[in-house]
Amino acid sequence: MIELDFRLPLAPFTLNVSARLEGSSVAVLGPSGSGKTSLLEVIAGLRRGAVGRVALGGQVFLDSESGKFLRPEERRIGYVPQDSLLFPHLDAAENVRFGLKRGASEKTFAEAVSILEITSLLSRYPATLSGGERQRVALARAVATEPRLLLLDEPLAAVDVELKERILPYLLRVRDEKKIPFLYVTHNAGEAGVLAREALLLQEGRVRAIGRVEEVLRPAALSSADPDASFENVFAGMLEPIEPAGSTAYLRISDESRLLVPGPIGVVAGGRAAFGVSPDDVLVSTKALERSSVSARNVSPGEVIGLEPLGADTLARIFAEGVEWRANLTAAAVADLELSIGKRVWIAVKTHAFRRLR
Amino acid sequence: MSAEDFSILLLTLRVAAVSTLLILPLGIGAAWLLSRWKGRGKVSVETFLSLPLVLPPTAVGLVLLEMLRRSGPVGRLLDRAGVEILFTWKAVVLATAVMSFPLLVRPARAALEEVDPRLIAIGRSLGRGGLDVFARVTLPLAWRGILAGTLLAFSRAFGEFGATILVAGNIPGRTQTLALAIFHRTQIGRDASAFRLVALTVVVAFAAVWTTEILQRRRSRRTGP
Repeated sequence: MIELDFRLPLAPFTLNVSARLEGSSVAVLGPSGSGKTSLLEVIAGLRRGAVGRVALGGQVFLDSESGKFLRPEERRIGYVPQDSLLFPHLDAAENVRFGLKRGASEKTFAEAVSILEITSLLSRYPATLSGGERQRVALARAVATEPRLLLLDEPLAAVDVELKERILPYLLRVRDEKKIPFLYVTHNAGEAGVLAREALLLQEGRVRAIGRVEEVLRPAALSSADPDASFENVFAGMLEPIEPAGSTAYLRISDESRLLVPGPIGVVAGGRAAFGVSPDDVLVSTKALERSSVSARNVSPGEVIGLEPLGADTLARIFAEGVEWRANLTAAAVADLELSIGKRVWIAVKTHAFRRLR
Repeated sequence: MSAEDFSILLLTLRVAAVSTLLILPLGIGAAWLLSRWKGRGKVSVETFLSLPLVLPPTAVGLVLLEMLRRSGPVGRLLDRAGVEILFTWKAVVLATAVMSFPLLVRPARAALEEVDPRLIAIGRSLGRGGLDVFARVTLPLAWRGILAGTLLAFSRAFGEFGATILVAGNIPGRTQTLALAIFHRTQIGRDASAFRLVALTVVVAFAAVWTTEILQRRRSRRTGP
């Protein structure tokens, strides 16, 4: 459990955080400049000047009343900043080994290298690595210290979509295989939905919302607090290949429901996977749609469960196939379709609108 | 080069080396503190530390002489401890150390300031203590600037004259460095042998400054290993 109850004066406002986080994975969201990075730095002990109390699993990191301040090197926190911050004078292997304790087994190093798949990069210097490679080395460096908590500051913000798709699985492996809890700063609600179980929403230094990820990431609350937030639909499930060539596959998301998604070559039946689809790619119809009459392969009846303003547009929340979908609609579309909560609709999504996340 | 010339060169190299080694930890420490210090008084301290660069060396020498004489504040303590400094090789080391100190501190401070403080923070978060991070991150990233400062300080110590002659005199075989010997030989009309010493000085000084220049250029170009 992470206990946070502190104040930290920043230039435009005072970061004032009071929260108890229970989960193994917490997404931290909020607009740029809302204090997210400062929050991570206070937890890591890299930012002095905070007044209050910070504790992890009962161990007190900061307690102003008793004058306690645990030094960063004693906290066992792995911090991965947005720009990796690898040591430029050390190659990737030396970077990963940097935090290894004296006498640490080779297994710790090998495990971090294996999970992040950086064996081929070990002899290279940071200047020769791509953004995604640097992020993987930085993650391995943090993981190799066997931290009690990982702090990830927008680790995917600096990489393009393709690299993002490649790095997300590594984060999941760190969470699931190494059992290292993390705080993950992001603007992407979809990513947060896949990676985190809890979420904390910051705005101008104050906790605007905290709780289970699906509650905090409600579009109306999130979009008004974080204009940069995105609301990708994210679905996880078991893959069922249906073509030997592997061009398409079913993603079973519940006993009753499955989606037709792109099937990468080498898909193993029963393998877990997650796919994202943009709210812009979800078509909504008030007339019944049949697979025989539209090219989209994912067609389902559903019900409007929410209509939330999102800038000039409206984010329609539709319950279909046993899960919630988000569709981004223009004001004109909402008016023409006469959408209202409880209205029966059909959604259609092309197979190729799905992109694989893991 | 005569045996006498060689002996003077050796003495000069020795005192310049000892003086540089003496100021190295102090200079790096001062440079590091100045590079991290954001509070008031920083400019005043920097200015004070740079004074030997702009003051006449004889003025610095006179201040040292007053402090070290038996009735002076430092001399009294040294006398009680049975340590004799004035007019010994130790006085040469002290005078050259004071005069060359700012030449080490200034480039070292600039090099340390260039080290991204977030790299240091990351090092700490990876479980390494402050000194460990300094040795494994800060120093390796700033070493060229520190080495450049060290070579400049060595060059200054090698050629120091004004402060040295006041606190150490000009005693052949004991405190007579190359600079003092050149002065002495021209005073007594041994111009040819003085020029031999000038040539020696030029060779050593050229090598030191040339190395400094090369290192500085590499430092500004460096983007990777």
